[in-house]
Amino acid sequence: MTLVLIAMILALLIPMCEAWKDEDIWQTMLAFASIATKTSVMILVVSVLRDDWMIGVVGVIILSVGNAALMLLAHVIKRLSEA
Amino acid sequence: MTDSYLYIIVALMPLSAAMLVFQTNPYHALIIRGVLGAMSALIYAVLGAADVALTEALVGTMLAITLYAVAVRSSMVMRLGILKDYLSDHIKEKDQQKDQPTPEPVLEPAPAEETVASSAQPPPPFETLLSDLRTVFRRHHMRIELYAYADSEALQQALMDRDVHAICLPTAALQEAVSAQGDRESLYRKPDWQSEPAPYQTITRLRRLYDIMNAELASSSTTLTLTAVGRSAPTSVSHAIPVSVQPLEEQP
Repeated sequence: MTLVLIAMILALLIPMCEAWKDEDIWQTMLAFASIATKTSVMILVVSVLRDDWMIGVVGVIILSVGNAALMLLAHVIKRLSEA
Repeated sequence: MTDSYLYIIVALMPLSAAMLVFQTNPYHALIIRGVLGAMSALIYAVLGAADVALTEALVGTMLAITLYAVAVRSSMVMRLGILKDYLSDHIKEKDQQKDQPTPEPVLEPAPAEETVASSAQPPPPFETLLSDLRTVFRRHHMRIELYAYADSEALQQALMDRDVHAICLPTAALQEAVSAQGDRESLYRKPDWQSEPAPYQTITRLRRLYDIMNAELASSSTTLTLTAVGRSAPTSVSHAIPVSVQPLEEQP
């Protein structure tokens, strides 16, 4: 299972690299969405691994809240690019 | 705590923090702040602090980013006052969805025939000048918001009242306003447009904006002026022409 987590961490580095180098703000937003989802899934994997329901509930909440924050931020940036 | 993957996960937080610190564009930095929040929530949850992780995700990622986005959006802007006649339909459409805090809104839809029939027709390079200004300030991650005023006196009054950061008006209108003031005319240094007129005069009251425009604005269709606005209460300013205008230098 540790190998699975390390593979997920390596996959997490891909959107981080994308968020670092990319100039287009929507690409950065996509990278942010990818990272937020990946970290939440990693929290869920760890919770299953440790059989810890407390962490699992937190992972589910973060998974849903991350999308809401992303939508809010995308709306503000969209208003910005229209101006 | 002896799991080997924990070390890699914890190393992700300084990585994303360094990405955030070295980011210069404020909007990209906001998004990377979200990345840092997600990463921190992961680390806190994996280390067993579920409540801290939840707080980081709710407050640090969601609330802070949204508030910062609104703050950055409303502060990184240059308010440019222009004459109403110069507001073409194209610009009106682009500014349709903006909130208008100042008393003179842009969005009064002037009838098309009135614009056509008005005596002062805008010279053609205004759109070019505006796009040049937008290009220059986009490099500094700033936007330009347009505010339309009825005549040049209202425009200069708005500059004195600190409603706008800069005004852009045709040189002919400025000449009329100056000659109408008579005795105050001598306070202006005679700029170069007496001999070779640039069609527009851009007056700003902020030295930083003047420096940016003076250094980077390549357009020859405007002259730049930095004016000093006194610290007195804006309501006590009774004249429409800035008395303390000190044109430092004009861009040819």
